[in-house]
Amino acid sequence: MKFRPLLAALALSSGILTSTQAYSATEIQWWHAMGGALGETVNEMAENYNASQSDVVIVPTYKGGYEDTMTAGIAAFRAKEQPHIIQIFDAGAATIINAPGATVPVADLMKDFNIEDYISGVRYFYADSDGKMIGLPFNSSTPLLYFNKEAFKEAGIDAPPKTWEEFEAIAPKLKEAGYIALAQSHSPWIFSENFHSRHNIQLATGNNGYDSTDVKLLYNNDHMKMHWGKVKSWLDAGYYGFYGRAWGDNQDAFVQKKVAMWLGSSGSFGGLTKSAEFEFGTTFLPYWESIIKEPKGTFIGGAALFAMSGHSDEENKAIADFFGYMTSSDNQVFWHKETGYVPITTAAYDAAKKEGYYDSTPDAEVGILQLSQPGGEWTKGYRLGYYVQIRDVMYKHFDDIFSGSASVDDAFAAMEKESNELLVRFSDTYK
Amino acid sequence: MKRVQFERSSIPFLFVAPQIIIILVFFIWPAAQAIYQSFLLEDAWGLSSQFVWFRNYKDTIFSESWLQAAGFTIVFSTLVTFLSLALALLLAVKANEVIRGASTYKTTLMWAYAIAPPVAGLMGNLMFHPLIGDLYKFLNAIGWDFNHKLDSFDAGFVVVLISVWKQVSVNFIFFLSGLQGIPKSVLEASMMDCKSSFRRFWTITFPLLAPTTFFLMVINITYAFFETFGIIDTTTRGAPGGATNTLVYKVFQDGFRGADLGGSSAQSVVLMLMVLALTIVQFRFIERKVHY
Amino acid sequence: MKQWNWRLISTHAILIVGVIFMSLPVWVAFATSTHSAEHILRNGLQFWPGSELLKTYNEVLFVDGGVMKSVLGTTMLKNSLILGFGFAIGKVIVSMLAAYAIVYFRFKLAVPLFWIIFMTLLLPLEVRIIPSYEVMASLGLLDTHFGLIVPLIASATGTFFFRQFFRSVPDELLEAARLDGATAWGFFIDILVPLSKTMIAAILIIMFVVGWNQYLWPLIMTTKEENYTLVIGIKQIYQILAEGGELPQYQKAFALTILATLPPVLVVLVFQNWFVKGLVESEK
Repeated sequence: MKFRPLLAALALSSGILTSTQAYSATEIQWWHAMGGALGETVNEMAENYNASQSDVVIVPTYKGGYEDTMTAGIAAFRAKEQPHIIQIFDAGAATIINAPGATVPVADLMKDFNIEDYISGVRYFYADSDGKMIGLPFNSSTPLLYFNKEAFKEAGIDAPPKTWEEFEAIAPKLKEAGYIALAQSHSPWIFSENFHSRHNIQLATGNNGYDSTDVKLLYNNDHMKMHWGKVKSWLDAGYYGFYGRAWGDNQDAFVQKKVAMWLGSSGSFGGLTKSAEFEFGTTFLPYWESIIKEPKGTFIGGAALFAMSGHSDEENKAIADFFGYMTSSDNQVFWHKETGYVPITTAAYDAAKKEGYYDSTPDAEVGILQLSQPGGEWTKGYRLGYYVQIRDVMYKHFDDIFSGSASVDDAFAAMEKESNELLVRFSDTYK
Repeated sequence: MKRVQFERSSIPFLFVAPQIIIILVFFIWPAAQAIYQSFLLEDAWGLSSQFVWFRNYKDTIFSESWLQAAGFTIVFSTLVTFLSLALALLLAVKANEVIRGASTYKTTLMWAYAIAPPVAGLMGNLMFHPLIGDLYKFLNAIGWDFNHKLDSFDAGFVVVLISVWKQVSVNFIFFLSGLQGIPKSVLEASMMDCKSSFRRFWTITFPLLAPTTFFLMVINITYAFFETFGIIDTTTRGAPGGATNTLVYKVFQDGFRGADLGGSSAQSVVLMLMVLALTIVQFRFIERKVHY
Repeated sequence: MKQWNWRLISTHAILIVGVIFMSLPVWVAFATSTHSAEHILRNGLQFWPGSELLKTYNEVLFVDGGVMKSVLGTTMLKNSLILGFGFAIGKVIVSMLAAYAIVYFRFKLAVPLFWIIFMTLLLPLEVRIIPSYEVMASLGLLDTHFGLIVPLIASATGTFFFRQFFRSVPDELLEAARLDGATAWGFFIDILVPLSKTMIAAILIIMFVVGWNQYLWPLIMTTKEENYTLVIGIKQIYQILAEGGELPQYQKAFALTILATLPPVLVVLVFQNWFVKGLVESEK
């Protein structure tokens, strides 16, 4: 490995490379962003696959967080060193899907591909504007409310809140019992993107960004501002805890019983069952009854697997084979049970049901039920460029709201301006 | 240059070749590419690209977030430079005074030099962790409503403190050796003239340390600009609200995380110009010192 | 007499506070690394060592998946050592040769070449990260020790240092050597290198620390876990803590900081005199 250029030259001149390749298995590089317990599950699945056949060897590599993984993939693609498979998260969807030629669409790659096999909630988030699936929604999650049952008992509360109005009623009781009522990981995802989906509000022009890159963000709307004004007042009243932008910091506060409720991902379920020393439950993401009477489903979050272009037919065939393996019912059920990510095919969901998994672990079904709630006009997803930076912009202004250094109105006005400047830049890169 | 040298031949080229080749391939070539890219608007994957003159400069340098980062970088560099120099100077003067335990003090004060900035950053990050960090608890216990995840002043405090901590050692080493280099006779003579040790320090010793101080200032500013990357990356990552974002960290964030190569390259070029200015200042100083 | 004593006490007091300020964080990091994850989560940082020292360090160093998915602590340690030593040795060789050419030879290009070397000071890695990655990738040097080490070697610091030192070597030496008929290479190897022994040692130590502590470059140059250095491991464990999802393994994070700290600190302490001499000389 150390002397690769030399070896390559040697191999070229003597023809060694071609002759050995014919006999060895096809190596498929898979870059992913699954750390901790999730990463171990990923490795286990890859090992199982490698053991199941001898033609293909999957080599999973943890590349850091979602952003790090995408960056590594981009840099590698530019240098023509791209891996075969890369996991790209929801916020990066526009970056990869708007660049035709960077990937081979799953719909083309896999034979016998049928989009109807996938549960309705995950079908179109990683699809192009024509509805053709580009990335395989590998780890699909949705924001859920986790609540500490013991804390609720101490505070004398029977049920978790369905709406934010109910939340406001119980928060003081939890405070009295010595808890901060709520914390949340990832405010752009839960309190912005999914806020719009749950309340069926448009979040960007151009059909939420699916139809064009020349679009504008609509976050600066009255519902959002009302919600964030409320969140700020909860923070000031001691009902809301903010432990930083990092996902884990807020989740740890829940694990440590500092906060009684935590908004996280359905994919956090597996980890929490291992780390939390108390009984907890899950329920749907609350909504404002004042905005919508019948709330809609949520967006899927998490990430998808993309097959990167520029590889040989043989390698693409190997990728397709691996994708087929990963979407098989057995593996989807395994993944679902280990991690809490939702099964992406109806067959897998049915299999889990038939097994009686949800009878013993009803909380595991909450995510998929929430995704299966009736969809609305604005619940399909969104497709926005430079969205990684836009999320940073949002974080930045949410921080300002929390710290009181900007009013809600000013923060959202600034957020709109900065985000739209980024969208213009992104759109111009495709001229 | 040397008075006596070898005659002209091709031999010197052989000696200097390894370094020059490495520089051309790994420094000049990528730097030239950075300059070129700063004029291009490209999609992340490099599939389409157009020449846009100074648009990247206009879009990024005049953006609010860049100006905020520039402001923070200046305040941050000034604080880190001043505080780590002042602290190191105090410790060096004191360490130079004692006889008993002098080498123990010296050793225990300088070893932190060997700690990498990200390592210092992670340690500091955990010391200030809201859930387990004792410093976090301590500061709140003494009545400071401390929350570096929310408050930009507190976050600035954290990154400055860690950066200073990491940098004291190297300054200490230089100051101490500078102090030890001052001839005994000068100090003895000053004892006669000036009874107050405080005044003696500022009128005699400190001016003699001026060259070292100036040299260290350049080193420290460079450190605060560039090497603190590892500290920022393992502590605040620019939060809250971009309040602790430095220019270098922003180059990395926009280019490496945000996939905006043109914008990031434009910022790189601006940074290069800043380093150039700093180097010119340094060189002027070195020249002056030679005449001195 | 009494007054003098107070002065001494205050001097020692200041120094002791300074020592505590510099050392306590590392001590706490070590002490905490010897407790269990549950204990830390419940009780915060620790000031006294606990009973989990062997368990933690054994897991971090030798157990598969003990700290990172597929890389052992020992592997990262090995990579760090290769980087530290490779960088230090390479740097000394390359910069000594270049400085020799610039100081001891009269040739037209000496000045422009000196300026090319000088320019490296203007181009910190941070301002050329992405193109550097592309250059390395197109040369097929990602994930190689060669690609990790060599580009770091070329910066001007070492060359300046040796240039300065060679200029202080008396001219008579070269005159005498030439009378004896020494060649350029002979003079370098037989006279200059032995003469520079202390300097070489000092530079080796400093550069070992600098190489060991590299962060951004290995971060973008290594795409495979098996090539991570300890300092890159720091970044990864930060990421794992930030993402959460399970019981945060603070003790392992601390153990990793201790492991990443220990070797360079030992080198600096053991070779303290050379190190200080080298560092301070480089100023001139």
